[in-house]
Amino acid sequence: MLLTVEPDGPVPIYQQIRDRIVEAIASGQQPAGSALPSTRQLAVDLGVNFHTVNKSYDILRQEGLVRINRKSGAVIRRDAGSGPPDASWTRDWTGRLATLLAEAAAQGMGPEEIAVHCRTAVTAFAFPEEAETTGKESQP
Amino acid sequence: MTAGSLTAALAVLFAGVWICVAPALTRPTLQFGVRVPPQLTGAAVIRRERRAYYWRATAVVVCCTAAALALAGSGSPRLTVVVLPAELAAGLGCFWVARERITAVKNAEGWFAGLRQAVAADTSWRTEPLRFPVAWLMPPVAVLVATAVIGAARYPDLPSRLAVGFAASGAPDRWVRKSAWGAFSKVAGQLWVTSLWTGLLLIIYRSRPDTDASEGADSTRRYRRFLATYSRALLVLVTLVNVSLMLAALRDWQAYRLSGIGAALPILPAAAGLLILVAVAVRTGQAGSRLPGPADRRSPVVNRDDDRLWKGGLIYINRDDPAIMVGNRFGVGWTPNLGNPKGCLLYGGILAAIIALAVVRAVIGT
Repeated sequence: MLLTVEPDGPVPIYQQIRDRIVEAIASGQQPAGSALPSTRQLAVDLGVNFHTVNKSYDILRQEGLVRINRKSGAVIRRDAGSGPPDASWTRDWTGRLATLLAEAAAQGMGPEEIAVHCRTAVTAFAFPEEAETTGKESQP
Repeated sequence: MTAGSLTAALAVLFAGVWICVAPALTRPTLQFGVRVPPQLTGAAVIRRERRAYYWRATAVVVCCTAAALALAGSGSPRLTVVVLPAELAAGLGCFWVARERITAVKNAEGWFAGLRQAVAADTSWRTEPLRFPVAWLMPPVAVLVATAVIGAARYPDLPSRLAVGFAASGAPDRWVRKSAWGAFSKVAGQLWVTSLWTGLLLIIYRSRPDTDASEGADSTRRYRRFLATYSRALLVLVTLVNVSLMLAALRDWQAYRLSGIGAALPILPAAAGLLILVAVAVRTGQAGSRLPGPADRRSPVVNRDDDRLWKGGLIYINRDDPAIMVGNRFGVGWTPNLGNPKGCLLYGGILAAIIALAVVRAVIGT
């Protein structure tokens, strides 16, 4: 997995690390049972503070996506094939999604256009090869 | 010409070659220690400064090598040794001029304005790490052990005074009293070189790869090939340096005696090792930047502009970075992070050990 972070971007670094790992799980690059580097190793590789990576891993652990123990380190716990998530998590996620889609509507995006963007985003991680081909074809 | 002055002249020549080829070995997005976006690596100022650097550096190296050979011919190794720092200072001056001019244009034109700057890490570097080539450590250790065994066998028969310096005729001109240190100083040198490079390579294998965010995972793959090849070339150099020290020790122990230019025999293996290292560096480039790879995908991000973390374009100081060693900014190799106390300790330890060896050698010699 290639983990790319923009240190001077508006999103905090710990959040970016967490987001990239979630995307890698969704696209199948990090399946359940695969290992992540230790927090110290990833901090060295990204040139960031150890506590920043620790915070990202802690969020992933709280979300149930990563299992952390002393012996095996950080290991992916869930992926696309792990079955449906908890009802409480779905409820929470639906609330956040509604806010995100409302942002687009508030900016003047129509329902059809919002649906197209949603479909493109889902294709990007569910069928990355198809998304890449579509992206190349759409380039001038 | 004595063996000592010939060694000094060869050192001047090797340092000169390194100064001249360094810009060609560095990745295109790092020009004279200045971070450059991939789309501007062919900028007019870069092409102009590279040409000017090659001319200036070549002139410096030709003059210094000629001066070193002239001084070596006059049989003054001490004066020849002075040429090397002068050459390094002049090379640094050439680098500085090019760096300042490129930086001025970069800042004036805002090369990174509007670009998405990122850092990248390939997690496979940690989950599937590259293994240290332990088998390649066997030859230098074998040479070290063989030298120590030969020395131990010859020690009882050695005279009360040991010759450690030789004139052009091959006759000894510097002596030390017979002692374990006097007799085994070359073995101590072998031990120092072998343990230093083994320790540094172990740290380097655990350090971060030089991953370029604009090249993605391809740059990590190339770094793997670079580290595997370059570390083996370094261990070959260590082996050949140990062979050189063994030949010098055998001469001290009166196993053979050569006069004139033949007295320079011990430096030949080390010189061959340096040639191999330069050839490998030219083939791979820094972090594998000269190795062939798949066609680069156009990345939406560029590597972060980190010039402010590099003092003078060569010294890395970043307190927020937990890395002990990072890839060089100019030429091929690695440099410590002086913003990290462990990096300072490493650097200070190496310097202290070099000074301690020189002091002990001087004390024994008197």
